[in-house]
Amino acid sequence: GDSWGLFTFLCAALCNLPALPALNCTEEPGAGHSIQKTYHLTRYLELQLRTLAGTYLNYLGPPFNEPDFNPPRLVRVERVPSATVDLDLWRGLTDNARLAANYRAYSRLLCYLRALDGQGTAELRHRLGHFCSSLQGLVLSIAGVMSSLGYPLPAGGSPAPPGTSPLAPNDFLKKMDDFWLLKELQTWLWRSAKDFNRLKKKVPPAVVTLRLEARGF
Amino acid sequence: SLTDSHIQYERVGADVTMKCGSMDWDAAVTWTANGTDIDESHLNGSYLILKNVDLTQSGQYSCYEGSSWHLKYQTYLRVGTPPKEPVLMCRSNNYPKGFYCSWHLPTPTYIPNSFNISVIHGTKEMVCEKDVFPKNRCHIRYLQLFSTVKYKVTLTVTNALGKNSTTATFDEFAIVKPDPPESVVAKPVPNNPRRLEVSWQNPSSWPDPESFPLKFFLRYRPLILDQWQHVELSDGTSHTITDAYAGKEYIIQVAAKDNDIGTWSDWSVAVHATPWTEEPKHLTTEAQVTETTSASTSSFMPPPTTKICDKGAVVGSGAMAVCWTAGLVLAAYGVLFI
Repeated sequence: GDSWGLFTFLCAALCNLPALPALNCTEEPGAGHSIQKTYHLTRYLELQLRTLAGTYLNYLGPPFNEPDFNPPRLVRVERVPSATVDLDLWRGLTDNARLAANYRAYSRLLCYLRALDGQGTAELRHRLGHFCSSLQGLVLSIAGVMSSLGYPLPAGGSPAPPGTSPLAPNDFLKKMDDFWLLKELQTWLWRSAKDFNRLKKKVPPAVVTLRLEARGF
Repeated sequence: SLTDSHIQYERVGADVTMKCGSMDWDAAVTWTANGTDIDESHLNGSYLILKNVDLTQSGQYSCYEGSSWHLKYQTYLRVGTPPKEPVLMCRSNNYPKGFYCSWHLPTPTYIPNSFNISVIHGTKEMVCEKDVFPKNRCHIRYLQLFSTVKYKVTLTVTNALGKNSTTATFDEFAIVKPDPPESVVAKPVPNNPRRLEVSWQNPSSWPDPESFPLKFFLRYRPLILDQWQHVELSDGTSHTITDAYAGKEYIIQVAAKDNDIGTWSDWSVAVHATPWTEEPKHLTTEAQVTETTSASTSSFMPPPTTKICDKGAVVGSGAMAVCWTAGLVLAAYGVLFI
């Protein structure tokens, strides 16, 4: 709307001033394109997770691999910020807050997933490794969107390494932790598809960038 | 009072013994069923014995004292069955607003039933508001979105002869299923014998297609064939079919799904359409058209017949002469090139 008109005017005005170094107004795919890419990444990861979760839950064994397993959520230290949110609150999130929430969540999820490495069969370890690489790609993609929109990355990148956080007191509770980790990851991927849908609508498809080129006077 | 209306529920196949109120066993009484006297063979003293009751035996049973014909006892017998396990279905056709659950009994009980539904989300009990219409349906509003905890819905059905229940447990995302697309319209495209233009609208129950876009699945086939063709469309509410068989009537349907979660809707109402076909020309003008074309076109035209120069179609005898000459010239050409 108005900001567009102003931007274009500014661009035209600056480009016409002879005394300044020549300015190149170019249109790049920019943020809109990155958002679309990130959206597709979340869908891809959600698909990958279905296979990974199936394999991992089978490795954990019953009751974790039963389809109607519905345990109560034990109140332990919340390791990962939950995707669950009040509807009106979610609607009202600013683009910055929306992106930051996604960035923080996946950074931490990645960390805890990496800690699962080294468990189970070779096939499972291989799948986990592949998934972690893809998840890393998602984190970087979100960071890319944030910086292209001029938002600062949330501080405190990675939490304390898993080794130092309170470990589950027994084997069963450790498996419960793993179960909830996968559940939380799955829910975040479903949520992100919706988050990025909203972002797609609000960010214009092309961002005009000003490139200052120094030309000899 | 003794003559108060009283309802008695019994199972199909049960043996029923009715006492005539406070009358002694050896008192002389007459029983009636819906006003009709009951034969004495069914009596054991003053008790009425009904063995292996069936549905037809439902009705009003009255007992009268022998000679005075005073009404001593009256009851309404309802024969039925205890409820079988009910069928429960929960679905979100208005995501992210909430979901509804609807239920029914697989077989009738023939007596009144009451339903009780409970919804538990984690540790919280939620209220499912009963709909006025249709009955046997209730709806819930989501308080939170993107929940990791499943919803557990328990439906209990109770009647005078027993109770039964069923439970459904599901994730928020699993029950998302939109209503079918609305206002599906299919139109031929002028001057395009193999095209059909299809358009539709988002189901009106879907509250927020901006943030929760739908994708669509279109299927079409000519009426004469059984095999459907399918097209999946990730956005937009219209599509042009470009490979329709010319002149054949088509049947077309569309379904919708949230872009990312849940399942496909049912198919929309079917629409029929036939692609555009060229209008067949009227007979009187046909002669003039072929006359023009035969004078100017290719050698592949067969030698013109006398039909071209139909007396009725040509005005004036001069024209007739020209006609014949043209005919001869073309016949010559035709012979040369065949």
